[in-house]
Amino acid sequence: MAKVPRNFRLLEELEKGEKGIGDGSCSYGLEDSDDIMMTNWNGTIIGPGHTVHENRIYSLKITCGDNYPDAPPTIQFISRVNVPFVSQTDGTVDRAKLPVLAQWTRASSLEHVLVEMRKEMASATNRKLPQPPEGSMF
Amino acid sequence: MALPKRIIKETERLVADPAPGITAVPHDDNLRYFDVTIQGPDGSPFQQGIFKLELFLPEEYPMAPPKVRFLTKIYHPNIDKLGRICLDILKDKWSPALQIRTVLLSVQALLSAPNPDDPLATDVAKHYKENEKDAQRVSREWTQLYASE
Repeated sequence: MAKVPRNFRLLEELEKGEKGIGDGSCSYGLEDSDDIMMTNWNGTIIGPGHTVHENRIYSLKITCGDNYPDAPPTIQFISRVNVPFVSQTDGTVDRAKLPVLAQWTRASSLEHVLVEMRKEMASATNRKLPQPPEGSMF
Repeated sequence: MALPKRIIKETERLVADPAPGITAVPHDDNLRYFDVTIQGPDGSPFQQGIFKLELFLPEEYPMAPPKVRFLTKIYHPNIDKLGRICLDILKDKWSPALQIRTVLLSVQALLSAPNPDDPLATDVAKHYKENEKDAQRVSREWTQLYASE
């Protein structure tokens, strides 16, 4: 199979994100619309229903380095959220604690990461964790 | 992972007999991915500029068109802020009879003949339609700022 280079891969992901993904509970886009290297992205996750996260809007930053998609993106929450894979000091996501990042392959995508983090929020162990006040930031 | 014969042939010819003002060099680790330069055509606001682009031949090539993007910033109504190009042969007018060479010549020709009626960068197109002279002045400025060596 042809190996899609970083920039063309990110253009595809950008176009997919602009059209809107899934049911709208996760979204992402470029932080700066003329960032020709497409390094810095914003993401949002709407907290899953019937959990402590319900109706919360979580903002986060995504960084796609030079080796994306061979290497996973780095992710940092801007909104405070209490889940085991997010550092409570600065909101960075611990790659080792999130399977989609720990077992990253080129077949994964930014959409995939956001959807998986949202699923984690709804897991049996995370759905009832006490949360910081809604809207607070790191 | 064998490279189709057609791609090998095209690459050989691009290197041995390059089109005037155009270079295309495949990456060592991905022979479907090319670093491209295009010289701004004489008589256009992009004259004397050297523009960097990248080109990728998807798995479906030549049944699907190459993907091409400017890496150098350019003020042109059919090229957007991310360097994406609005050109019919890169979309619905693609034909497998076209080649990397013809695609890059068409991109070079687009620099001589902007088409503000089919814009990708709407603000630039508006500028070109309302005051072509002033828009060309900005295109020249950007060429000097971003596309000179």
